[in-house]
Amino acid sequence: MAQIVTIDPVTRIEGHLRIDVEVEDGVVKDAWSSGTMFRGIEMLLKDKHPWDAQQVTERICGVCPLVHGTASSYNLDDAMGVELPDNARLIRNLCLGANFIQSHILHFYHLAALDYVDVTAVLNYAGNNPGLKALKGKIAGLAKANDLYPFMPRYESDDYVSDPEVATTLVGHYVEALEARKKAQEMLSIFYGRMPSFVGTIPGGVTVQPTVSNIAAFRSRLAELRFWIDNVYVQDIMTVAGVPAYSIFFTAGDSGGNYLAYGGFDENSQGTEKFLPSGYILANGVSAVKTFDEQQIIESVKHSWYTEDCEGRQPSDGKTDPDLEKDGAYSFLKAPRYEGKPMEVGPMARMLVLAGLELSGKIPENKQLLVPLIKQLGLDAKVTELVTAGKFGILPRHAMRALECKLLADQMDVWLDQLKPGEPIWDPKGKDIPSDSQGMGLVEGPRGALGHWITISGKKIANYQCVVPTTWNASPRDKEGNRGPIETSLLGLPVPDPENPINVVRCVRSFDPCLACAIHVIHPEHNGVKEFRVV
Amino acid sequence: MEEKGVTRRQFIKYAGATAALLGLSQALVPEIARALEEMAASGKPPVLWIQGQNCTGCSVSFLNTNYPDAAEVVLDKLSVRYQPTVMAAAGYQAFGVIEDTAKELAGKYVLVVEGPIPTAEGGEFCTFGLEEGTKDLLGNKVPKDKPIEVWMEQLVPGAAAVIALGNCASFGGIPAANAEVTGTTAVLDVVKKIDKDKPVINVSGCPSHPDWFIGTVLYYLLNGKVPELDRYNRPTMFFGKLIHENCERRASFDAGLFLEDWNDNNPDMKLCLFKMGCKGPVTYADCPTRRWNSAVNWCVGANAPCHGCAEPAFYKDLSPLYEPLPDINFMGINNAETLGWIAAGATAAGIVGHYLYKQLGKKAPEGGEE
Ligand code: SF4
Ligand code: SF4
Repeated sequence: MAQIVTIDPVTRIEGHLRIDVEVEDGVVKDAWSSGTMFRGIEMLLKDKHPWDAQQVTERICGVCPLVHGTASSYNLDDAMGVELPDNARLIRNLCLGANFIQSHILHFYHLAALDYVDVTAVLNYAGNNPGLKALKGKIAGLAKANDLYPFMPRYESDDYVSDPEVATTLVGHYVEALEARKKAQEMLSIFYGRMPSFVGTIPGGVTVQPTVSNIAAFRSRLAELRFWIDNVYVQDIMTVAGVPAYSIFFTAGDSGGNYLAYGGFDENSQGTEKFLPSGYILANGVSAVKTFDEQQIIESVKHSWYTEDCEGRQPSDGKTDPDLEKDGAYSFLKAPRYEGKPMEVGPMARMLVLAGLELSGKIPENKQLLVPLIKQLGLDAKVTELVTAGKFGILPRHAMRALECKLLADQMDVWLDQLKPGEPIWDPKGKDIPSDSQGMGLVEGPRGALGHWITISGKKIANYQCVVPTTWNASPRDKEGNRGPIETSLLGLPVPDPENPINVVRCVRSFDPCLACAIHVIHPEHNGVKEFRVV
Repeated sequence: MEEKGVTRRQFIKYAGATAALLGLSQALVPEIARALEEMAASGKPPVLWIQGQNCTGCSVSFLNTNYPDAAEVVLDKLSVRYQPTVMAAAGYQAFGVIEDTAKELAGKYVLVVEGPIPTAEGGEFCTFGLEEGTKDLLGNKVPKDKPIEVWMEQLVPGAAAVIALGNCASFGGIPAANAEVTGTTAVLDVVKKIDKDKPVINVSGCPSHPDWFIGTVLYYLLNGKVPELDRYNRPTMFFGKLIHENCERRASFDAGLFLEDWNDNNPDMKLCLFKMGCKGPVTYADCPTRRWNSAVNWCVGANAPCHGCAEPAFYKDLSPLYEPLPDINFMGINNAETLGWIAAGATAAGIVGHYLYKQLGKKAPEGGEE
């Protein structure tokens, strides 16, 4: 018999998400994803000084303020006609990269790992590592006091990693990862002042000049992190992926085969070359990566709490008018579609686009990054198998995130070498606010493709819009009835015990959803802004 | 010994770190250690940490804590029962923990609220967990969402104290600029309606500094009372001093050496950011001495102005963020009250006077505010 299982709150993500699944005969038959919190960030920017945009939009999300601040800076650079100095471009890459590192580590260890590792297995640890023994002592103390919060309660399942040695090592890495991600934020604050909510990028460039000493301070932390990513993070992913019980997750959790990347990390001052390339993939055609064109983005609100008038619009002409009474609506998220299709964005989309361009020879062999790394890790057979099957599920999503983290951390060392102390960091044109202008800033954030748009009139912000990654991934159904990527990914997942739908949250969390980003829209009626859009 | 959880030696270590965090004399370490030990023996104090219209920045900032570090807080110090960003449980198990704690430990738990409370449209702009009743989901009957406003009504009466975490929970912050639509309300105002005597501590900052939050919690637990608060309910031990008075660039300000081009910022010059919009002269927080991210840097340290993120006036009434203060304060000096800095207004007036006199090459008048 079919039954609806409601999971609210979905914890260990950013923001407020509710998931409903229909379970029949132990398998998910249907799924609905709902964003359940609304603020309205863009509205307060109207009539403000354009320079405020970066400080305000980075508060859209406290996990990745960097990506909003960076998109906002590129957006304003574009509106002011800035020529970005190389130092500024490199420092922006370095700090955005540092945030990818902190965000990816946080995601795997602190948001996802408790779905796989049995913390109580630590009680059976019999090894001699002093750190792990101390950890065992603490967990034993908590167990005795019957106070294992926040690690218990949890969904029960018989497939948690429970080998005491392996589980204890992973729990030890959970603790180490707290330090690693903290270090990534320290590294970032060298150039950007503080995290979360940083101050170091401004229209026209950045605020801190590279010096021998701040480069050295950055590099020493980066070296530690690179070692940790190579020897702990990437290895732990391989350990978890090697657990026989999880082998179904290589393909289970596939989002439907469409992937989109705007591209990110500029390699030249015009931004025409990117370290992570742009492109999109349809129906799992990994080796046939297509050229991205932003005009193909249309948003549907058939099942979102917005009026019918917001339906079917392109971002440049978008509109957002909330309607909490609307029939058939179940989310504050809109449903953006590319060529009418739902698209997964994020590390998996970026890595598949990169892999596709490398495999098809569009990126010459001497410039390839991912394919050689996959070979070096001995993953080529597995990857070929998945490409042939045309399905990429929960585990590939985690693995791609880790590989991307490694590629970026390695490249950051190269960018550090390219910094030139004493050379400009700022184009003063950034201070020259034109009376009327428009701008666009497209970047990649840890969770995927992000765009900011600005219209300046009378030297003030007339309109400011953001299109964010999680709206793509966690979107509800569109007007054709197509499910969003997360909804599709849940279909067919085994849920043997509806009281403990562990596989559902494993799958949702593999997308690293950020709901605060996804719902930041404004109300046109109340603030008088007529044209508004959210995704 | 180390297999038995927290050792005596660790208590001494924690006590030392706690004293440093709270700015107390190291002579008090043995006493703090004893208090910590007693606290541990009677079970870790329960914490319920719920999220309203937040961005999770304060949760992420909390993870940057050093003394004690995040693992120590969670394993040794507090019983963090509900914290949606880190807890294992989801769905009914997760909100079931809140319900159980509220019932079993009434009067004992600390309620931390990250983000303000939207009260318009029956609270539907922010919900988590489920309540009695059903709603329709494309033809299916499913359980109803529970507004955070309803959670507040349920949890405030039994809370020992309420901590509003971050500028937006404390004062409405950025979401309050859209209050006409969502009814964004500061935590203090929501609590007052439920129980006007309930202690509420505003740990401001956008986001809050981990030391400000953990220091406040430790102070409360060690002393069994709320720390001294300023008129905005912020602990004076962290928000008692003007940034401008303690800024490492104050000498440049006094000498009239201002940063005007970011390419011109010879790292040794330490030029004052006043002309680039620094709000340090009207902001009360200990950032210049405490600094951020393991004391690696802070806003002014990165050649960027302080944006005043700890103030009730942030963001709206401190905009434009990159224009010098006179633009708002000099013109708007009469409405300093509406700006939310009554006393700071006077100080700012003095500063503005000082600044203009420097510009004109004159001496500041005797007895001026400074
Ligand atoms: S104006 Fe700002 S940078 Fe200058 S001394 Fe005051 S606080 Fe420091
Ligand atoms: S220096 Fe100012 S803007 Fe920066 S954290 Fe402190 S109060 Fe906030």
